[in-house]
Amino acid sequence: MIELFYRRQALFLGTLSMIGIVVLWQIAVDGGFINPFFISTPSQVWAEFIVQFEDGQVAANVSATLYCFAWSMGLATVAGILLGMLAGWFPDVEAALEPFIWFKYSAPTVAFYPLFVAWLGYGTPTIIAIAFLFALTPIYANTLSGIKNTDRDLAKAARSFGAKPFDIFLRVALPGSVPVMMAGLRLGVGRALTGVVVAELFGANAGLGYAITYYGQLMQTAKMMVSIVIVILLGVILTQILSFMESKTDSWRVDSGR
Amino acid sequence: MAQIEIRDLGIDYRKPKSNEVFSAVDGVALSIERGEFVTIVGSSGCGKSTLLMAVAGLVNLSRGSIRIDSKEVIGPGPDRAVVFQEASLLPWRSVRGNVKFGLEMQRWNGGDLNERAMQMIRLVGLGRFSDYHPHQLSGGMRQRVNIARALAVDPEVLLMDEPFGALDAQTREIMGTELLRIWERDKKTALFVTHDIDEAIFLADKIVVMGRNPGHIKEVIKVDLPRPRDEAVLDSEDFNNLRRRLRAHLAEDMSSMQLVQEVA
Ligand SMILES: Nc1ncnc2c1ncn2[C@@H]1O[C@H](COP(=O)(O)OP(=O)(O)OP(=O)(O)O)[C@@H](O)[C@H]1O
Ligand SMILES: [Mg+2]
Repeated sequence: MIELFYRRQALFLGTLSMIGIVVLWQIAVDGGFINPFFISTPSQVWAEFIVQFEDGQVAANVSATLYCFAWSMGLATVAGILLGMLAGWFPDVEAALEPFIWFKYSAPTVAFYPLFVAWLGYGTPTIIAIAFLFALTPIYANTLSGIKNTDRDLAKAARSFGAKPFDIFLRVALPGSVPVMMAGLRLGVGRALTGVVVAELFGANAGLGYAITYYGQLMQTAKMMVSIVIVILLGVILTQILSFMESKTDSWRVDSGR
Repeated sequence: MAQIEIRDLGIDYRKPKSNEVFSAVDGVALSIERGEFVTIVGSSGCGKSTLLMAVAGLVNLSRGSIRIDSKEVIGPGPDRAVVFQEASLLPWRSVRGNVKFGLEMQRWNGGDLNERAMQMIRLVGLGRFSDYHPHQLSGGMRQRVNIARALAVDPEVLLMDEPFGALDAQTREIMGTELLRIWERDKKTALFVTHDIDEAIFLADKIVVMGRNPGHIKEVIKVDLPRPRDEAVLDSEDFNNLRRRLRAHLAEDMSSMQLVQEVA
């Protein structure tokens, strides 16, 4: 009950501060403190949203973006978890993959954009590839650390009952890693969405990132803001869904205080 | 021949960050009869856990041998089960899931796992808590689950490493009495490591007193207090004599330990 109360309170406060920002934004422009050319106003953005919604642009852009998001996130989930499990369990695999991970941490992924364009052309495949790389790292890294940091005492207890290494992997290492894997997926979702939108900014013929560049170049701030706000909302919603799933899987973790 | 025969046992460990080895246990010889309750006492670091883990088949022997029912111990086996001191329950499994865990690992096929697990959970007095998770239990309840998990696989030998070490004195006493009640049912061989002198005497048919540097057996003391026992035995004359004897042993070890620390 108390938890629920705090959750509701957090939701309430969060909503309140969002409303506050929107009101401030409107007042700042209406009061002449900021030139509407730079950030438009909430009322204009809302009006543009209605227009874009009715002429089907919103649906087209959102579905194009979500299509690339789903593919990149799906591929990153499969690859990240598989590689992470292998690397976490076999130190040799981890050592072999290590250079790629350092490479990925130190070089900005977008820098490979022209390379992917050369290989895959402009459009959907390149966007998926970039977003895949964006999302892969946290999923891989979290899965790896989850498996690698398997509780030694639990593994010893399992061995005392005659568990084989594969039993320990399946019954101790894997279930023990689920919460940290879920945290990796939560980070991955945000990264995948960012990856899709960033790649769409550079070259696409549909999608929210595309719409942002398109209206940005035409200097139509209100129309551009529609897509920016949608991207933010999508990010919040997707991350919240994952946070919720995460909280379901780690209820046994006392320290999490849930 | 005795059920457990330990001969000339030696276990070496590597010192951290060096190639030096040292003996945690050396020259240990011990015979344990079927159905005997043996407690192991000794000051901290004298190799009690190491000895127990060797019998469990969880550490490699450097010298000597351990035989159980004439079979050489080369690893863990279904004839033994361990109750660890640390919280070694799977936090994501319920009490029932944890008790089933050992059975699953041993590919137990003596009937319905749930049924078997529930039977053991009731035996340790946790019938109402079978759906709880470890973090929802007290320390004493968690150790009951650990004991139930070990009993479930119906081992010939029960190995316990300070299972009540983290509990307060009162809970400890209750758990000791409970353990004896359960043990009296089928009197399986038990090895029980403890720091607590009263606990060592109360439970034992035979107390193994260990000394340090390297870990060795100083004395084996027979305990002839009548069974079944209850708390009343704690005040008996025989109990007091044993208590005095063990205290003297441990005090001796403590003073030699201080000496080592002062020199170092
Ligand atoms: N895995 C290991 N690697 C290296 N040294 C170890 C290892 N395990 C134990 N030791 C050392 O072996 C010695 C005996 O340890 P052990 O855990 O058997 O003692 P103990 O009698 O159980 O002590 P306590 O009563 O404090 O539990 C100690 O000096 C310890 O540092
Ligand atoms: Mg110990």
